[in-house]
Amino acid sequence: MSPQKVSVEERLFSLVLTLVATESGLTKSEILSSVQGYNSRYREGGDNSALERQFERDKDDIRELGIPLETVEDPGDRGNNQSLRYRIPKTAYDLPSDITFSPQEMALLRLAATVWREGSLSADSRRAIMKLRTLGVEADDPLVGFAPRVRTREAAFEPFEVALERSAVVNFDYLKPGETEPTKRVVEPLALVQFHGRWLLHGHDRGADAPRTFLLSRVIGRPRVTQLGFTRRGTDYASHAIDELQKIWDRNLAELDVLPGTDAWVRLSKREDTRRTESGHLLVHYSDTALLADELAGYGPEVRVVSPPRLVDAVRQRLRVTFDAHASAVHGGEVDARD
Amino acid sequence: MPVTEPAGPRDARDKLALLLSLIPYLLDNASVPVTEVAAAFDVTPKQVRDAVHLIAVSGLPGESHAYLPGDLFDIDWDELEEHDRIALTHTVAIDDTPRLSSREAAALIAGLQYLSSLPEHADRDAMASLMAKLERGTASGAAQVAVAPAALRDTVATIRSAIEQRTQLVFDYVSARGDSERRTVDPLRIESVNDDWYLRGWCHLREAVRTFRLDRIDHLVSTGQPISEHAARVVLPERLFQGSAEDLTVSVDVAAAALPLIADYIPDDATKVQDGDVVHTKVRVAHYHGLKRLVARFAGQVTVTAPQDARDVVAEWARAGSARYDDAEAAAAADA
Repeated sequence: MSPQKVSVEERLFSLVLTLVATESGLTKSEILSSVQGYNSRYREGGDNSALERQFERDKDDIRELGIPLETVEDPGDRGNNQSLRYRIPKTAYDLPSDITFSPQEMALLRLAATVWREGSLSADSRRAIMKLRTLGVEADDPLVGFAPRVRTREAAFEPFEVALERSAVVNFDYLKPGETEPTKRVVEPLALVQFHGRWLLHGHDRGADAPRTFLLSRVIGRPRVTQLGFTRRGTDYASHAIDELQKIWDRNLAELDVLPGTDAWVRLSKREDTRRTESGHLLVHYSDTALLADELAGYGPEVRVVSPPRLVDAVRQRLRVTFDAHASAVHGGEVDARD
Repeated sequence: MPVTEPAGPRDARDKLALLLSLIPYLLDNASVPVTEVAAAFDVTPKQVRDAVHLIAVSGLPGESHAYLPGDLFDIDWDELEEHDRIALTHTVAIDDTPRLSSREAAALIAGLQYLSSLPEHADRDAMASLMAKLERGTASGAAQVAVAPAALRDTVATIRSAIEQRTQLVFDYVSARGDSERRTVDPLRIESVNDDWYLRGWCHLREAVRTFRLDRIDHLVSTGQPISEHAARVVLPERLFQGSAEDLTVSVDVAAAALPLIADYIPDDATKVQDGDVVHTKVRVAHYHGLKRLVARFAGQVTVTAPQDARDVVAEWARAGSARYDDAEAAAAADA
């Protein structure tokens, strides 16, 4: 018996079929000894630990596809790992039959999927559309010339997404604006949200024992997803997080003296919710002083912040830093980018 | 419009999703050409044939663990080999569309949220019911990922209808230099990156494809004139911003953490040398007007190291910015 080369997808496919077909479930040894992709390497009564580890990874892969792979304990033999039975209930595998989409809905879903053209969510949306195509509904009106895109460039996005899905505590270094040293955070991730183009992690900060929202661009280095699980106490964290950010946005108002006709004038006056004062100043809303200060510093002399004082200070400080870093001739490459 | 290669299944999970999706699709379509299946699933015909070959030899171990024919899927082999058509003749275990994973549902829901200010999303009840269906299509609920709605202006609707009608647009455009020019443009595509929206089109003034920021467009008029022959021939490159021969390349030091944030400006062939927390690399810009704005937005994180005249331009920009505050203070002191 020469072990045939069985591809990963063939093994996963065979495993899904076998577990859907069983009603009472199969034990690990029943699976490993019979299912294509494991069976030729299974040793009766021998050491199958490598095969068992592969089975563990395969279970994760299958579950990540949204397939409800269940574990059933033998009531007469609780706690015994070897007597656990695995199965995929057909009713939980099948998309509920009353879920159908109209051609217009299908068009909206296909457009929604194209929003993710990079990063891990692009694979997820591609697979979702693949599954929904089997419903046999053609999208009406293919959207020509429209290519919206949401980016997930921040290095912290993927680890946070994994932690979120596994409900695993995540550790990371976070640099608050105005501080020079990052602090270590231990967080139960509850939602990933994008607000005005910025990704934020909303979670429960274990150190502060309070809810906190973190800008992904301020995470230093790669977050570490721990093995520590936690229990979610609520739902709808994502929409609540966005509501909270919207409240902050509505509350924060900056008064700006902007030179008319400049790039800054055109763009800031078109910013969402911007108003003009009688004296010709612009009133803009914002959610984060440091982020707005970055943007305004980019406009150089085209913008002068009138209020609030905190924003005035932040922009002046940035302009000073930029000036100092560029004012003198470079000597021997001795330029410290973070003066 | 450019035709991009179908992405195709990338890893085993993608391939498994294709296998599981093909089965209900083939059950509903008695005999279907390979090319049609490939188009429906956005994969290559070869990927479809490979998947079907795999399906045809797969199934259940059965009582004897021998994977006997009755326990396997089967297809009409003549149909496949002679006519390149697929006909599934026997199925086992599964026959229906699989549920969505929590991330798959979340990706679609977040995409819908992002686009929720489009006119075709205006029916809020219909959108809520669509999102609820996606949520219900999972086994354990959608993942908590959300995107706040993009702020779309009327300009988007005007531009989209001009693209569909293949007609020209005229508008005032303020460049990063601050000059405003009246432009006539054949609109080709609206794109966005998070909160930033762009129009790509054939610019009659520049006689080239240009990318315009929507928030720099003013006094937009749809003329109803058909687009020019140039535009009809254009193939839009994937990258939003194309380098041009006149571009300037400058050396910069970038804080490692800020590197992804300015990735669009770093040429593909630029070297990146890590030096502690700083990366020595290059950025490409159309002119120094754009450079000084970029660098000043990343105060302390991006520093131009060469050439000297680029450093001078940035320093002057920051000095002039600071001077406005000094002047305002002096004026206030004089008043007092």
